[in-house]
Amino acid sequence: MKALSLVLKEMALEKRDIILSVIFGFLAGVTAVALFASSGYLISKAALVPPFYTLTILIAVVKILGFARAFGRYLERYFSHRATFAILSNLRVSFFEKLEPIAPTIFQKYRSGDLLARVVGDIDRLQHFFLRVFYPPVLLVFIFLATILFTTMFSIYIALTLLVGLLLTGFVVPVWFAYQQRKVDYKLREERGALSTETTEFLYGFRDLKINQKLERKRDALEQSSQTYVNEQQRQGNVEMFNQSLNLMVTLLISWFVVAIGALLVIDGELQGVYLAMIIMISLTVFENAPPMAVVPIYLQDSSVAASRLTTVVKEEQLPSVERTTQTLPNEALSIRIEDVSFTFPNEKRPSIDHMHMHIPEGAKVAIVGPSGSGKSTLLQLLLKFHQQDKGTIYINNYATDDIAATDIWSKAKVVLQENHFFYGTIRDNLLIAKEEATDAELKRALERVFLQHLALDQQVLEKGENLSGGEKQRLAIARAMIKQGRLWLLDEPTSSVDLLTERTIYNYIFQQAQEDTVILISHRLVGLEKMDHIIVMDQGEIVESGTFRELMDQQGYFYEMKQIEQSVLV
Amino acid sequence: MNQLKAIAKQHKGTRLFLVFSSILYALTVILQAYFLVTIVDAVFLQSASFTEIVPYLMGLLCALVARSALSYVNGRAGVKMATKVKQQFRQSLLKKYTRNPLQTSLQGQSGHKVSVFMDAIDEIDSYFSKYVPQVIQTSIVPLFIWIAVSMEHVSTGIIMIITAPFIPLFYIIIGIMTQKKSEEQMDKMALFSGRFLDTLQGLTTLKLFGKSKQQKDVIRQSSLDFRDATMEVLKVAFVSSLMLELISMLSIGIIALEVGIRLVVFESISFYTAFFVLVLAPEFYLSLKDLGTAFHTGRGSMGAATKIQEELEQEEHNVQWGEASVDNAFDSPPHISLDGVGFQYGEEGFALKSICTTIEPYEHVAIVGRSGAGKSTLLYLIAGLLPKTEGEIMVNHQPLSHYKEADWFERISYITQHPYIFAGTIRENIALGSNIAASTEQVERAAHKAGIADLIQSLEQGYDTPIGEGGRGLSGGEKQRIAIARAFLKQPSIVLFDEPTTGLDLYTEQILQQSINELSKNATVISVAHRLHTIRNADKILFLANGELANQGTDAQLMKASTDYANMVSVQQEGVER
Repeated sequence: MKALSLVLKEMALEKRDIILSVIFGFLAGVTAVALFASSGYLISKAALVPPFYTLTILIAVVKILGFARAFGRYLERYFSHRATFAILSNLRVSFFEKLEPIAPTIFQKYRSGDLLARVVGDIDRLQHFFLRVFYPPVLLVFIFLATILFTTMFSIYIALTLLVGLLLTGFVVPVWFAYQQRKVDYKLREERGALSTETTEFLYGFRDLKINQKLERKRDALEQSSQTYVNEQQRQGNVEMFNQSLNLMVTLLISWFVVAIGALLVIDGELQGVYLAMIIMISLTVFENAPPMAVVPIYLQDSSVAASRLTTVVKEEQLPSVERTTQTLPNEALSIRIEDVSFTFPNEKRPSIDHMHMHIPEGAKVAIVGPSGSGKSTLLQLLLKFHQQDKGTIYINNYATDDIAATDIWSKAKVVLQENHFFYGTIRDNLLIAKEEATDAELKRALERVFLQHLALDQQVLEKGENLSGGEKQRLAIARAMIKQGRLWLLDEPTSSVDLLTERTIYNYIFQQAQEDTVILISHRLVGLEKMDHIIVMDQGEIVESGTFRELMDQQGYFYEMKQIEQSVLV
Repeated sequence: MNQLKAIAKQHKGTRLFLVFSSILYALTVILQAYFLVTIVDAVFLQSASFTEIVPYLMGLLCALVARSALSYVNGRAGVKMATKVKQQFRQSLLKKYTRNPLQTSLQGQSGHKVSVFMDAIDEIDSYFSKYVPQVIQTSIVPLFIWIAVSMEHVSTGIIMIITAPFIPLFYIIIGIMTQKKSEEQMDKMALFSGRFLDTLQGLTTLKLFGKSKQQKDVIRQSSLDFRDATMEVLKVAFVSSLMLELISMLSIGIIALEVGIRLVVFESISFYTAFFVLVLAPEFYLSLKDLGTAFHTGRGSMGAATKIQEELEQEEHNVQWGEASVDNAFDSPPHISLDGVGFQYGEEGFALKSICTTIEPYEHVAIVGRSGAGKSTLLYLIAGLLPKTEGEIMVNHQPLSHYKEADWFERISYITQHPYIFAGTIRENIALGSNIAASTEQVERAAHKAGIADLIQSLEQGYDTPIGEGGRGLSGGEKQRIAIARAFLKQPSIVLFDEPTTGLDLYTEQILQQSINELSKNATVISVAHRLHTIRNADKILFLANGELANQGTDAQLMKASTDYANMVSVQQEGVER
């Protein structure tokens, strides 16, 4: 619940729209009550055969109230929705502000891409908080108070009955329901998770299940969890229905009490009979505003789960310590020294990097090779301070990375990751990220270098660059890195989806441009490594071999074996 | 819409029940008005004593309680119907998937299927749990109110019947005006959320390029622009509800005016009648408005229903199986022959054409060809995972379709490039290979042969270590070795092997070689081969090109007979060595 303060803070920024929607919502609600009250009064008055003009006045009032109610509703909707969208915008901005400082680390921690999809979903969910959670009770209280105040002019007992009705339908029943709902919700989520896992396994593991004749068994299990899940949904649906009907009953019972008390008062002569119909109409109408209260707990629950999930995402992952950024890297080729570094991913047992030592002098061209899962990429991520190593020290130009700001390393490095992100926009937009002042000629030259001259600078790029092929994305990422400033090249399998010939040519360009620079190239292909100053072979987080291409081949060790296999593979 | 309607029609019992309980509900609404009006009339004009009105008060109480109870019963019936329908849908989807999903997983649509199975089916819930009961209720209640009112005071009934059609009419007109626009806006909204996600996902890149701070303003601006665009659309929708509100308000106003005038000017009706009409009029128009809202609820389910329908209507091709027991036919590896076997993906899709060859027991067969030549398809056909569309696969001189499915699969192992690891313990994952309960020693022996025993023993919980869905926490090589352990446990007569292309550690590479050799002692091995030595050591090579069997023979034979083959093998070599 505390997490919701996050939403409240963003809501506060839209005070004006919120107040306006409450005012018009109140107007619409109260005029409806007034409308029916006056029509009840009108009929009673008419029964007593009054002078005609009273009737005319009352009818005019009824009409005006009718119009006022309709327009009040319109304005209420307008302002409340405007507020909702503005709140959504505020939420996005504020979450972005919180996420930005801890960005790469957190993505590495939750390695699945669905973290962010979940975050976006949660933020979208929070936009309902205002309209479905905050707004209904506020409105209800205002309308009821006004109505109750009005009825006190006729009878304090009836006013009190209405007050009890407000408390019951507005608060007691919804809260009781929320309590029940929580249990059901938890169970439901569990069942849904189980079903989702079963389904995924059934479809993705289909071939293995079929061959091993476990398909029928899995299908039965799946059907079983589906049944449990829908049964649980049914239970939830019934609870919801029960709550709605209970709320309906409470409002109707309150009206019954109003009728009974009203009748009693008239009989005792404490209330004029002409007001009875009016008071009954009031009690029947005022509860029109109660139904939205029934779903408040559901949305409240939903919002607080979403909010607390969002808070944990940004809270858990505080940077290890405030960076003591005492050193700044020079704008020249950098040397790297790794001393006894170990790193294990959270929630994993085996280390990804195990007591590693490495030295890369400035201007060296080093390749890191090894099977997938050997820790090559993790090493690169440690260099970029995406993670904090558990043990040991990494030095860049003899400064421990602890003393260098991550942003400083990033600004001095040209990085191509395995997964490079491209944004919705044009090719130009995506390249200018690397260098704002770059001219079109410069950009075109970079595209030519990576054989992407067929892409116009104005060509549209979709989210995640999904309209580009794997090879195009990799080459575009290289072009982007080429434009960027920095003298340290960190390339993680930059050309794995590019054909050999193109790869060769691109490498030539890179090495030409990087003559004086330090280059670390992670490669799963062993082709074209003859030119590297040094090759490091990793397996299971350790360096198993290192040396020049010639040395490694002569040794006939791990590298040599890998090379043999590669040569014999037909792609 | 129509499919859902058809399904709802099947639930006749529930519908009848809903009609019945809705009629009762309508009666309680009318009774409520009757008692209410009688009480007021008695107290206000007849100066009745309290004891005189007690029976009416009790009657009112009953009507109110019955009204709430009926609304609950109605809702429950809907929920129950939704539950049944969802389970039915899941069952038929599952049946469909069981019969025909290999093509699906080949076409990489598994993700889509998961989402249809989970989300689309959940989305049709509201159609049955809310829409159907509400439509039934809101078509019955106004009708009964109208009858009751007309019986009491005809002219109000006439006003109602004249004004009522305006509400659905307006819904239709407005619906036509706004629906397309609002749906477009919904799409935009989804797109817009997508854009925000895009920015978040690209945060690493933005930070590496030092550009992340600027994005804040971009997000704010685009969110606000989006808000303004959406408000334009919403305004139209709000105007429409404004109109509806005005129609019902005006109608109630006219009714009030009419009864008022009659009451005062003509004194032709009683207070009782006037009040009765006035209490019921709002209920009448409210019900009609609810009908409109119900249609809105129902529409959300339509898209989902269409998605499910598409899945269910997908053409299916089943692999045919027979009744013959394999035990009688072969205990050792069988003789296999392919007589003009072919397969076509869809009408115009990729085709594998008339493959003719024979595979002798204990032979090593390598399927070779460039990517897209049909190598995997051929392996699937032999495995009995894809239905052939032409020719015949003969196993020991009987068509494959002659044998029992279970018996056939009992005899084969399929080692894929990306074996699937299920959520469960390591033991359970290895034991997947055996149809009878495997003993601890058997599992451990299999793991040992697959070269993964040491690793497993180094884990704290050993064979009982849980591994995640999809084998999280295991490297590619380790997953591969678990798959091999499955094969060792199964002791198949035929091994189908999709040789990995890259990315394995040396140890797994060695294990793979050894294991295939070991398994081949008791089995025929058919590989989709990517390694030269696998190809060179094969007894027979099937060289595929563009879905056809271009050539077959040993490596030596093919080097002479086929320049394409010779080129492929040697060019690759050069490409690597240069």
